[in-house]
Amino acid sequence: MGIVGNTVRSARFRRSRWVLTAILCVYLVYTLIPIFYVVTASTKTNADLFGTFGLWFSDDFHLRENLVDLFTIQDGIFLRWLGNTFFYALTSAIGAAFFALLAGYAFAKYDFAGKRLLFALVLGAVMIPQTALVIPLYLLFSKVGLLNTPLAVILPSLVFPPGVFLMRVYVEEAVSDEIIDAGRVDGAGELHILSGLTFRLLMPGLATVFILAFVAAWNNYFLPLVVMSTSDQFPVTVGLAIWYASATTGSGGNLLFTVVMAGSLVSILPVILAFLIMQRFWQGGLSAGSVKA
Amino acid sequence: MAVITLSGVTKSFGSVSIIKGVDLSIGDGEFVIFVGPSGSGKSTLLRLIAGLEETSGGHILIDGTDVTDRGPAERALSMVFQSYALYPTKTVRQNMSFGLEVARLPRAEIDRRVDAAAAILKLEPYMARKPRALSGGQRQRVAIGRAIVREPVAFLFDEPLSNLDAALRVDMRVEIAKLHRRLAATMVYVTHDQVEAMTLADKIVVLDGGVIQQVGSPMELYERPANLFVAQFIGSPKMNVLPASADGRAIIVPGGKVRLAAPPPAMIAHLGARPENIVVTPPGQGDIDGRVDVVERLGSDTFAYVAVPDAGVLTVRIVGNDVGIAIDQPVGLAFDTQRLHLFDTRGQAVPAAAA
Ligand SMILES: Nc1ncnc2c1ncn2[C@@H]1O[C@H](COP(=O)(O)OP(=O)(O)OP(=O)(O)O)[C@@H](O)[C@H]1O
Ligand SMILES: [Mg+2]
Repeated sequence: MGIVGNTVRSARFRRSRWVLTAILCVYLVYTLIPIFYVVTASTKTNADLFGTFGLWFSDDFHLRENLVDLFTIQDGIFLRWLGNTFFYALTSAIGAAFFALLAGYAFAKYDFAGKRLLFALVLGAVMIPQTALVIPLYLLFSKVGLLNTPLAVILPSLVFPPGVFLMRVYVEEAVSDEIIDAGRVDGAGELHILSGLTFRLLMPGLATVFILAFVAAWNNYFLPLVVMSTSDQFPVTVGLAIWYASATTGSGGNLLFTVVMAGSLVSILPVILAFLIMQRFWQGGLSAGSVKA
Repeated sequence: MAVITLSGVTKSFGSVSIIKGVDLSIGDGEFVIFVGPSGSGKSTLLRLIAGLEETSGGHILIDGTDVTDRGPAERALSMVFQSYALYPTKTVRQNMSFGLEVARLPRAEIDRRVDAAAAILKLEPYMARKPRALSGGQRQRVAIGRAIVREPVAFLFDEPLSNLDAALRVDMRVEIAKLHRRLAATMVYVTHDQVEAMTLADKIVVLDGGVIQQVGSPMELYERPANLFVAQFIGSPKMNVLPASADGRAIIVPGGKVRLAAPPPAMIAHLGARPENIVVTPPGQGDIDGRVDVVERLGSDTFAYVAVPDAGVLTVRIVGNDVGIAIDQPVGLAFDTQRLHLFDTRGQAVPAAAA
């Protein structure tokens, strides 16, 4: 492999490969160090957290105690937050993937009036940070009485413009027009064609949208911070931030930074797990053989 | 099975008119082939019949019923696509039974039909395989099988053999001809391939620019093309055409004249002669003279390409391969006056024996 005149053995190729590898390594370190810090910090006592080197473990391995604290402080509210986050993220991701599938499929395979304009709107929406919409959403939900309910977090998360864009591109690639036409000639309706003939071809794309929406909803902070007002509705992000604030001011009594760190660690694990589970959907090539290769 | 009638069918994509008024009647059990250059609207016309495209104007009737506003499912036609369009996640059996399941046929009936089609197409060993585990020819047969099991009123084929290699294409051509005889079904078939068109068709429809140029049996089109386009499109190598004008009992062509028994019509502008209707003579003894440019020996036939000043290069077919013709040799060419094709300035055919 290599660009013409720039073969694997050439000095230029080797030089540019080294440069690229070095850049990627810097990026990797940049990404991993904070995570590693979270790992080490959550195994320390509060005293060691500030008294020992940040990027290595201290002699006093305190992870178990920190975890026990994490799940017992304030009657185990952390578990409740974890459950909330899981519920918000899962429903948001399923819903977002569902709507992205339908919208992307329509954009990819149907002609309708206003298609270009609508797609331009979708692309435009990708550019708008969700944070910018939080205040209008707050006012809206306060009018319809949805504040401090799960819907206040879930409904806005169902709108996932990058997912629509991704699904459109994916459907265009993975589903040939002739398969759809063959289904029509066979007498199947449009929804039946989607669910029975093309859905499984779209699994890799759908898994991608699902995981992106899942992570976005899992990490969502500002929206729930604004629309949720009671602690029992908080997701992990908001809960930990509030604990962190109390730890900083020292007003939380037994709330310690190490517990916040342990909480961060625990809240990362399900996302990693989700990635591992979704990985099996990324084994493309499902459509091979449908049309002449 | 089915009579399909198109009357005044038009189709535009946006402001671009693709099918410009097609009237066509396809008889019960007839094998009709659409031919024409790329972009002439063959596939579009087929898709209009299938109901996969909406007409912009005109009517489509199947067995006398106006189906113009009905979807593909209600037309009870089967279509075989160029890319086969098999359902990739389904096995061969599921590919063939899908349409029947949609139609909610009883399981036993579905199995009976699928097994029968599998037997006809020799697909039994592959019924549990997915399409990606099949060869091109096998995929093609599955696509045909999927069309057969629905017992449609007519079959539509869009270049079904164009993705196969030459040998397999010949086999499948014969298979399709047998299938047509066996099912006695109406078939509408799009192809680029002259041989497919000439051998399979009861009736050929020549399209150009979304307009039907001529409809007729293969031999009618070959013997009596209605215009220059059809004359040059049907037949391989294609018909030689020279500028011509009438002069008493002769036709004047570049470099000579062709003497006829009766005076030719006055309005002729082009003279057409098929390669096999020109004879090579010693120089000066034919109707016109030229110089041999290229000689192609195919064994059974030899094609001589003869450059004639002001008329271009004419193709001559000579039976056999021992013809004693060499490159750069000056030769004369004599036309078979019984088999000349004459055209007016608009390219329309003019009967040679006009009164
Ligand atoms: N969906 C469409 N939108 C716009 N133009 C189209 C569409 N489908 C076909 N066309 C145009 O219609 C014309 C006829 O296309 P069609 O596919 O019928 O040609 P064809 O005769 O089948 O050609 P080929 O032999 O290359 O398959 C082409 O110029 C094509 O660009
Ligand atoms: Mg075509």
